[in-house]
Formats: sequence, C-alpha cells, structure tokens
Amino acid sequence: MVISPVHYIAVPLLAAFTIPLFAKIHKELTRIIPGIVLIYLTYVSYVLMSKVMTTGPIVEIIAGWKAPWGINLVYNGFSGFIASLMSIMGLLIWIYSYKFKKVDDEPALKFYILFLMMVAGSIGITITGDVFNMFVFLEIVGITSYSLTAFYRGRDGAEAAFKYLLIGSFASVFLLLGILLLYTHVGTLNMAQIAERMHTIPTSVKLSIFVMFAVALGIEAEMFPLNGWAPDAYSQAPGPVGAAFSGIVVKAGVYALIRIIFTLFDIEGSLQFLIVMGLITMIIAEVSAIRQTNLKRMLAYSSIGQMGVVLIGFGIGTTEAIFAAIFLMFNHAIIKGLLFLSGSFLVYNDDKKQIASLSRFGKKLPVVSFLFALGAFAIVGFPPFAGFWSKLYLLLAAADKNLIFLIAIILMVSVVEVIYYLRVVGKLYFGKEESKIEPKKPAFNSLIVMLILGAIIILVGVYPDVITGFIHNAADTLSDKATYISNVLPSL
Amino acid sequence: MMNTYILILLILFGGAFAAYFLNKLAPILSGLTAFAATTIATILFYTQVKIGSQVQLTIGGINLEWGINAYSWLFSFIVLGLGTLASLYSIQYMQNKERQGYFYLNFLLSIGAMMGILLSHDFVSFFIFWEIMTWSSFLIVIYNGKDVKKIGIKYMIFSAIGAYAMLMSIVMIFAETKSFLISDFINLISTTGFSNHILMITLLLIGFGVKAAVMPLHVWAVGAYSNSPMSYTSVFSGALSKMGIYGFGIVMLAAMTYVSPTISENAGSGYSIISIEVIKIIFQWLGAITAIMGTLYALKQTDAKKLLAYSSIAQLGYIITGIAVGTKLAVMSALFLAVLHGIFKGTLFMAVGAIERQTGTTDMTKISGLIRKMPWTFIASLMSIIALAGIPPLAGFVPKWLLYEGLITSGHYFLVILLFFSSTAAFLYCYRFLFGLFLGQEEEETKNVKEAPASMVIPMMFLAGLTLVFGTYPGLLFKPIANAMEFVGMHDVTWNMTVLSNVWGDTVSLNLVSIAIFVIFISAALFLFKGMRGTRYVTTKDISTSGEIPTENENLTYQLDFFKPFERAVAPLYKRTMDKIYNAIGESLEAVFDFTRSIYTGNGQTYAIYVIVFVVILLIFKDSIF
Repeated sequence: MVISPVHYIAVPLLAAFTIPLFAKIHKELTRIIPGIVLIYLTYVSYVLMSKVMTTGPIVEIIAGWKAPWGINLVYNGFSGFIASLMSIMGLLIWIYSYKFKKVDDEPALKFYILFLMMVAGSIGITITGDVFNMFVFLEIVGITSYSLTAFYRGRDGAEAAFKYLLIGSFASVFLLLGILLLYTHVGTLNMAQIAERMHTIPTSVKLSIFVMFAVALGIEAEMFPLNGWAPDAYSQAPGPVGAAFSGIVVKAGVYALIRIIFTLFDIEGSLQFLIVMGLITMIIAEVSAIRQTNLKRMLAYSSIGQMGVVLIGFGIGTTEAIFAAIFLMFNHAIIKGLLFLSGSFLVYNDDKKQIASLSRFGKKLPVVSFLFALGAFAIVGFPPFAGFWSKLYLLLAAADKNLIFLIAIILMVSVVEVIYYLRVVGKLYFGKEESKIEPKKPAFNSLIVMLILGAIIILVGVYPDVITGFIHNAADTLSDKATYISNVLPSL
Repeated sequence: MMNTYILILLILFGGAFAAYFLNKLAPILSGLTAFAATTIATILFYTQVKIGSQVQLTIGGINLEWGINAYSWLFSFIVLGLGTLASLYSIQYMQNKERQGYFYLNFLLSIGAMMGILLSHDFVSFFIFWEIMTWSSFLIVIYNGKDVKKIGIKYMIFSAIGAYAMLMSIVMIFAETKSFLISDFINLISTTGFSNHILMITLLLIGFGVKAAVMPLHVWAVGAYSNSPMSYTSVFSGALSKMGIYGFGIVMLAAMTYVSPTISENAGSGYSIISIEVIKIIFQWLGAITAIMGTLYALKQTDAKKLLAYSSIAQLGYIITGIAVGTKLAVMSALFLAVLHGIFKGTLFMAVGAIERQTGTTDMTKISGLIRKMPWTFIASLMSIIALAGIPPLAGFVPKWLLYEGLITSGHYFLVILLFFSSTAAFLYCYRFLFGLFLGQEEEETKNVKEAPASMVIPMMFLAGLTLVFGTYPGLLFKPIANAMEFVGMHDVTWNMTVLSNVWGDTVSLNLVSIAIFVIFISAALFLFKGMRGTRYVTTKDISTSGEIPTENENLTYQLDFFKPFERAVAPLYKRTMDKIYNAIGESLEAVFDFTRSIYTGNGQTYAIYVIVFVVILLIFKDSIF
C-alpha cells in the first residue's frame, strides 16, 4: 500500500468509529488501537516528510476528482511539518494517558474515540486544500473539544464546555458565512483557485469576507478578544486534553488563520492586523497570567500569550519572521505540552488546582518537579533550552524590519512571564511550608513521555539544527504563494 | 584534537551534572567533583590556552566564535582562581547541608557560564552564557529557601530586565551590522560614532549595570549576596559581578577609545546632546553615588554578610567610576581593583562563612572575641580588611593611589571629594567588622567555638597572601592589565613592578614600604610576645568603670549603635531608598494587572459580546483598518 496523506484522516476516523466494536472483543483494545493508529500516523509523517524534503510537495487528489473540482490534500513543507508535529504530539499524549481512567472503561472508550477524532480533525484542517473541507474538520475538532472539556462530569466542566460551545458556534457561523460569500463571488472552494481568483472580488466585499474568516479562525487561534473560552476550557479539561489543546488544536487554528491570510487573501493590512492583534493578545494574556492562583489557568493564559507572539511572528511577514513563528509553534507544542503534562500531576490531588498547593513538591515528586522547572525555564526563553532560539530568531526578524517598539514590548512582557513561572518554580522547591496534599505519583508511561519531551527541549536547545532544516523549508513554502497554486493546479 | 575551549567548558558543565548525580552516592563526592572540575579546568586553561587563539562553531545558522584575548584573560584570573578556591572551601563549608547536588550543579554551571562569557567573541554565545550564569546563580540564591519571593524573585526580575535590555541591543546591532561579532559592534561604533547608536549602547549598559549593581539597579544585590551560601557568595560578589564590569568595559573602553576623533567631534545627527561625554559623566556620577550609598548602608548593618554585601556594591561603584572616567590611570586602577576586589571580598565572604559555620550566626551583635578561637580566619580577615581600606603595604593601596591621581589629573575634583569621603567612611565599617566579630570580649556562647577546618582556611590564607604579594609587587598585575588595556585600544600604558609614581614626581617604592612595615610588624610582635608572659587575661566582668557602677541601659559594647552620631548625621540620605520606589512601581503595576485580568470575567455572555463587538468594529472600520 502506498502511503499517502489521506491516511492521516481516514485511518484515525475509521479507527475511532470501530473502537466500540473492538472493545467488545477485548477491553484492552480500546486503549491499544488508538496507539497503533497514532504510531502509524507518526510513521506516515516520517515517510511523507522525507519525501517532501527531497522531492517537494505532495498533492493528493481524493476520489479521482482533479482540482479544482474535487477535494484535494496539500502536503507541503509547512502543512506537513505541522501535521507531523500533531501526530507526534498525539502519540505522546496517548502514551501519557494510556492508563487514564483505568478502572472505568466506559469513559475511557469515549475519551479515546474523541481524542482520535480531535487529532484527525486537526490534521485535516492542516492538510486540506479546500475551504469547505476545512470547515468540516473544524466542526469535528470543535465538537470533540467541547465534549472533552466537559469530560469530568461536574458543574465547572459543563460550564467551561458551554462557554466553549457558545463561542465556538460563533466560529462555525462566521466561517460558514465567509465561505458562502466567497463561493458566490469566485465560484470555487479550492484554496488555490480562490487565491488565484481573489483579485476579481471587489475590495469592500473581500474585506467583509476576510473579517468573517479572521474572526472565525481567530476564535480557534485564541486571538483576543475572541479567546474568552480558552482559560476555562484548559483548566477544566483533563490534563492530557489540556496538552492536546495547546499542542494540537490551537496549532490547527493558527495554521488555518495563517493559511487564509498568506495564501487565500492578498490584503495588505492583514499583516499589520496580525501584529496588532498578536500584541494585544500577548499583553493581556500574560498580564492576566501573573494574577492567577490556579496553575492550569496560569498555563492557559500563558498559552494564549504565546499564540499572540506566534501571530506577531507571522505578522512581521518576512521569511525569517515566519521561520521564527513556526519555530515558536513547535517549541510551544513541546514545552507547553510538557508543562501541562507535568503540571497536571503536580495539582492532581488538589481540586482547586492551586499553585499554593504544590509547595515543596520538589522533594515528593523530584522528577516531575524537575521537568516542570525545565519546561518553565524553556518557555521563558532561557538558554540553552529550546525556547531561547525561537525568541532570538523572532527578535532578529523584528529588528531587521526596524520594529524597535515591538521588540521592547515583547521583552517587557517576557519579564512578566519570567516572574510568574519562576514564582511557581520557587514554590515547588522552596515553598514556605510543606503542602498538606499528598501528590500523586506519576505512572511509568507518563513519566517516559515527560522525559522524552524534556530531552527534546534540551536537544533542540543545545543543537537547534536538528529541527531548523524542516522549519526553514516550512517557512519558505508558506511565503511562496505562487508555487502553492501551481502545485495544486498544474494546468495553470 | 578537541579544542581546549570546548574541553574546558565540557569539563565544567559535565562536572556540574556529575556532581549532581554523585550526590546520590555520597554528598562529599559532589564537592570533590566540583573541586576537581575547577582545578582541571584552571590547569588546562593556563597551560594549553594561548591569547589570540580562537575556534568557530555554527549553531542554528548562527556563526559563533570563541577565543581568548588579553582583556578576557585578565578576568579569567578572577573566575578560575576564585572558582577553584571557593570550590575547595565549599567542600567543608557545605558539609552536612542538604541538597548538595543541587548546589554544586549550579555552582559549576555558573563558573562554566562565566568562562563561557569570557570566551565569547560573539553576542549570541555571550548572551547564552550570560543567561545560564543568571539562572544558575538565581537557583543558588533561593537555595536557603528564605524569602524566595523578596530576594530570589527580585534578583530574577532585575536580571531579566538587564538580560532583555541586552538582548534587544544585540538584535539591533545585528540588524545594523549583520554580524554578531563583538568586534564588528566595536567597528560600527568607531566608524559611525557613538551618538547615532545611543539606544543600543544604553541598553547594553543597563544589561551590564544590573550585574555590576550600579545605582539604581542595585537593589537586588544585598539580598542575593547575603542569602546565598557564603562559599558561593565569594564567587558571586567576587567574580560574577565582575562580568558586569567586563561587559561595561567592552562598551565604555573598547567601543569608545577606537572612535576616531573626527567622528566624535562631529558626533550626532539629532542626538548631539547625548554624546560620549554625557554617558561618561552619567556613569562617573552613578559610580560615585553607588560608592557612597553602599558605604553608608554598610555602616548601618549589624549582620556581617549584609555589611560585606553593601561594601561590595560600594567597591563596584569605584570600579564603574574608574572605567567611566576613562583615562589610562583611572582605567588601570579600575581593572586593578576589579581583580583585587575579587581577592579580598572573596576572602571576607569566606571568613564570614567560616564564622557562620562555626558559630551558627553572622550577627555582629551576638558574637565577638573570636580572635583567639579562630586566629587564622582573623588574620585572613585582617589582611583583606586592610586591603579593602586601601592601607599600604597591602594591595588595596595601589588602586586607590592610582584612582585619586587619575581623577585629579583629569580634573574630576568633585568626584575625588566624593570618593574620598566614601573611602574614609569605609574605615568605619571595616573597623566594625573586625571589632564586632573578632575583638572585644569573649562571650559565653562562643566558648566552644573552634577554628574552621584546614580546607576552608587554606583558600582564605592563600587569597589573603595574594593581597600582600600584589601590594608589594603590583607589577605582577599591572602587566596583564596593561596588555588588556592595549587590547581595548589604550596604548603605551606605563607601569613599574614595585614603584608607584605620579605626574607630580612623587614616587612610592612599595617593596620598601612593605619591608619597612614588615620589620615594624615583626619587631612589635616580638616585643609583644616577649611581654606576653606578664600579661593576664581579663574576664568579661572585669571592667574598670572608674568607680561608677554601670546602669542597665549603658552601652558597654561597641557592637551595637557603634556609629550612632555618624548615622544621625547622614540620616537624610537613608530616607529615600530605591527599594521603596520600586515597591511603589510594583504595587501600581499589580493594580493595573488586576484591572486587565478582570477583562476575563468568566461569564460566557460577556465573551459572546466581545466577539460580536469585535466583528462589528472590524466590519464598520474595515476600510481604514486594512
């Protein structure tokens, strides 16, 4: 069988729907099958990425309908990189949560089904070349995310999920509206063809459509002021889901937003719009994070803030800046993944997830605490950890465009970030009095995942060249719109 | 063959992790590992490395260059020398303390990072090592777990502000020169002038100023110095703060002296007010104010650690002033003092650490009369204090002489007055330190105190001995200093092995002074020793009060309220502290943060309204926004 990008979507969706059947054969299959699927997806990523790096983008035509009539999948340097990142994160989160709800099989079944669909949907958003198809995947991701947010039955979870649903439905409506308007004007849903015909739409209509898209995808990308759902959803969802939100779902949202801005539309002001919105998002989120007493909410706000920085990176718009932004996305996935995974062990037995409750856990949970501290150091950009390089590249790109003011603000906000992360680390090791709460010891599989993420953070920090090749390719691909169009529509 | 630079860094960083894991086997092993690592690194450095050799690396598409030059060579004395001695000292000092693995991990990391800073020829590796140094020292500052929020976080906030100011400057420099090499930055300044790049230079100076504890960026220093374990504080105050001086020197000396006179005369299109001279004057004054305030606060302290911490700040102030004045003499004295301060302040912190270990406290009102219990510690402290006070024959006299001459010959009379005031006031706290801890009456609590173990005394005595050596033969230090100054563009520095001379024709032959004082000292000692047989020890209660019986509240000891009249005289200077200003800023920022946070109301309806309002605004103003 030839490996193609279709497998990314077809295999996990198929598996998700058949897991209940397999569960009838043996209960353990509920847990094993998602793993097999995700290992396979990682393998697919490996094969396809090596192909992309050597021979160039892969355009997959579904059901024999050539573009622009049928749906096509575009697996190039950028989408391939993000998709691979998502499948690897998915795999790691699966290993981490292998023993999740071990005693209770029914919720576990739901969890794995929803989780697989969420990964499939996110990857779908990334590799699809069709706007309506993107909408469908966005809905899949949305519905699974709402359910996972409310996974723990209880008032808070339900409330968070409801908020998410409320705001998420805005996203659906606006996206659908945007697609409709777009279709009436260009008569196609294929992204490449839309991009090619974009200049035919009158400016004011084009701007209205753009606003629809930007708002809809901005909600998914956690852009201010559309991100009210995020802190609640992150803090109420189970630990691994929080990691999946920041490592997979948000990445899909950002990817879609960036794809729309860079490929579909040719609006000059959209980049400045990204910078301004990214800046506001970053400032407000980081400033809010410092006032949190709940660890998960703090991580959630920090996650939003980081997405703001990513948007700024894309908004600067030069290849170097895009490179920095993609690097930042990668770092954010692994580092925030580690923080969420280790953090959820630290506050496992505290219902309120208070930062105060993990006082002096450094002794009780040495490895987890160490990994959390490592993640904290990495995310604020201390060398020699991964976060440093993306920050450096971003600032270099900004300096290259002479955006001195922007650099100053980013760095000032970084100081805020340093404060609230190190406060937690200080508490972890040198808290005033020992916390009364007994921590939960991490399971072996969870520990392995955290160690792997920690190792990646150090490896990339010491030797960033392991990853920069892929990211450079991704950045080049994104900034080259003409090649995207000619890849999808070779006849033109 | 592997490059020596990389090997040295590998030994230090690898040793750090080895020390961490060996702690699990036996805590003593991590201490020994640290000592071994620093010793091997030092030996390797001084046998294998030659000035001028360099190595290139490429990481993440950025070219890094490591090498050593005469200027960084000078600072390597402080880092490696003090690092090795402090790690030897540490073995016994840290004995029976918890988390030794953690301590030595960060200890070696910060020493390795300091070496890395000295090796860096480019700003990226400079910054990387700078940050490693910062966070590893932060982790040691919070090691005691005392006041993490007040001391540790404050240190980190200031360090982060400094580091990010530096980072901003670095990316701006790169945008202009397309190179990270420090030499290209110096070229940029020397070809295009100082005032056109005032922002990047100011930012760099802020970054270095934080580490060098220049007013008003000094508030973190006292807590951080006094709160970390003393074996590290000797490195922290002795060597780590010198990294700020090192960077400061790069900007203020190298970048400035190479500026061709034609450019500096026609300097500044638009920023002509802020020329080199203005920056120099600002830092001269900041340095002098730092010196005075540091001294005045040191006077007030009753805790020996805090006294030394404030004194460190004051000494760094002299160094900053010296560099900022920028004449050959002033720079020479500043660099001399930089090395020397590492030596004597390193010793003093070690001595206080020894006292802390043996008696359990460093409060000068609680202990006294340790001279007979801890004679070696006393001698080491005495010599360092003499060096600190700048009295011949010990080395502190040399930079003082040079600095006053440098300031007078360049016409900075007011600065001379300030510094003279400060160094005179310094006598007071020097005296208090010696008297409070070592002299005076023996107390009941210190009856069973013993001298610190040999492995702690040896480093102290070695360093104290160095102050005598450099005091008698300052030329030993002048030589590398002259080379360093040559490297940063100050040519034809004249120096003499043992003779200090000035433009007015006065000369001081230091070895003669030393010999004279030594002879007097020995004969006095012999005389005293001879007469000792007739002396009798006076007990605590045997106080002659001229027939009057002292009342309860009469002060019989000089340890408490020692300098009350003086303190009263300078009281207005104590009133406004930078600390209060920063706290006020912090509080108002917190209020702003709280307000911002309330944007997230937690109410789904509000969030929905945000979305709708946002869409409406975008749709209405779309033509003007995009």
